[in-house]
Amino acid sequence: MNEKPAIPVNVDAIMRKASLAAAVFSQLSQEHTDRIVKAVYQAGFNHRVRLAKLAVEETGIGNWKDKVIKNVVATQLVYESIHGLKTVGIISEDDERGIVEIAQPLGPVLAVTPVTNPTSTVLFKILIALKTRNPIIVRPHSSAIRCSSEAARVCYEAALSEDAPEDCIQWLENTSRAETQALMQHKKLALILATGGGSLVNAAYSSGTPALGVGAGNVPVFIEQSADIPFAVDQILISKLFDNGTICASEQAIVVEQPIAEKTVSEFKRRGAYFLSDEEAGKIERIVYDSGKGVMSVAVIGKTAAEIAIMAGMDVPPGTRLLIASLRGVGKDYPISSEILAPILAFYIAEDFKHAVNLCIDLNFHGGIGHTASLFSNDEAKIKEFALVMNAGRVVVNMPASQGAVGGMYNTLHPSFTLGCGTGGKNITTDNITARHLLNIQRISRRRVNQRFERFNQELYFDESLDATAIEKEYNRNL
Amino acid sequence: MVSYVAEEGKLFCKFEPRLDTVHCLGFESEVLGRIKEFGGDVIFDLEKVNYVASAFLRICLRVCKETGTGRFSMVHVSPEVKKVFKIAGFDQELAIQ
Repeated sequence: MNEKPAIPVNVDAIMRKASLAAAVFSQLSQEHTDRIVKAVYQAGFNHRVRLAKLAVEETGIGNWKDKVIKNVVATQLVYESIHGLKTVGIISEDDERGIVEIAQPLGPVLAVTPVTNPTSTVLFKILIALKTRNPIIVRPHSSAIRCSSEAARVCYEAALSEDAPEDCIQWLENTSRAETQALMQHKKLALILATGGGSLVNAAYSSGTPALGVGAGNVPVFIEQSADIPFAVDQILISKLFDNGTICASEQAIVVEQPIAEKTVSEFKRRGAYFLSDEEAGKIERIVYDSGKGVMSVAVIGKTAAEIAIMAGMDVPPGTRLLIASLRGVGKDYPISSEILAPILAFYIAEDFKHAVNLCIDLNFHGGIGHTASLFSNDEAKIKEFALVMNAGRVVVNMPASQGAVGGMYNTLHPSFTLGCGTGGKNITTDNITARHLLNIQRISRRRVNQRFERFNQELYFDESLDATAIEKEYNRNL
Repeated sequence: MVSYVAEEGKLFCKFEPRLDTVHCLGFESEVLGRIKEFGGDVIFDLEKVNYVASAFLRICLRVCKETGTGRFSMVHVSPEVKKVFKIAGFDQELAIQ
């Protein structure tokens, strides 16, 4: 954790600059805006390796190659998904309905960014903010200040090279809680994009400024009987080992039905998974879970399986890539059934499909409401049945959950590093946040009279004896 | 870039259409110098202006500070440019017509 003292910031000065930038930005054409966005994407992309290495060096979390991929998603894939969007002026015209939509920027956006995906989240938020002509103020996690600030600086230089408004990107270094709070509550701030832990997201929502936040994940992955088991296990490893399990949408627990359990275990073992004994699971529990705070221990985030085993004082076979604990329950008595952003999975054997889905519901509701659920299956009816009962913004099927939820790599979800969890997660949306969420849409409405309403004898509404059915009959007469 | 007319005790400054950063850097010292020398009320005529950069907004703030409250205003401002001043929060400090 960064122990540097907070550098005092003048919140009013920051917001003054942001307001000026917003004012100037509001004049830019689509063409000019898009030139700025392209320059920023290219600069971020071109610095992807350096920024990735900086992130790992500073945070000690994950591995640099996977962080490069995160930076690629945050730049190249995000750019591909947004560059063709109309975000300036008239963006749609529906003559039949008489509606014209006009895109307006929101104003200054405060981007709170995490320690797990520091540079990628910065790059992503800057791109979507600039695409929508919103100046952005980046407030990095205290343990990722250098790499996050550097990502912002790279973007800012690129933006200025295309004559972007001064101060369209600002970044803060080590602000105190009070200053962050003051920023969040500032009257000139239009929106908070909050990607981080629960207390921070709560602070954003409590500030009085509109906010788009995220929720915690506790992703169950159900390998249903019709699944291609070797394929499923491969995909789970692709996801869970990606950047040492630091994406919030990574699998946290595997649920399999009894008839395929043995084969599933065998496939995991063949690929470097180590199934913990009860005693070993107990050792692991003590270091991966902070029972005082009721959350995962920060010390294990993004560590490898081997490193975690050492921390727990146990031996694992060489080449162990993943630790798996067979559990009999879900909840606070089973700490490994909680979200742990590291290569550790809980494992459940269910009697049948119904039992398996019930277990997934328990896991989903144990700290992961609204986030993501994962299923491997080739049975359409079961896929739908599963999805209908999950409370998850993303139900990813037959793909790695981390990459699947982020979007753009294994599906057509909008690539994003801010995944809404809906009201269950105390967010306002279940969407993958993207550029279109950063626009105020105005509508010109032209006269298109509702013919039935106009010709209907409205005196009939005052006749209490006429119920809805009677009114409808008259209302729709002669259609 | 900027034309000046002193009339009825006021200094009218008329600007060209595009007030981007480069142009503003070019005329900033001249405008501020003339205003200081004039010492009276100042009016910025923005009739032809269709774009203002942050640099111009900062010049306006400096002029406001130099002349004092109520002695600096803008006229013939287009709706688009007026909106810019509103977003920047300047309408509280400047008289914009």
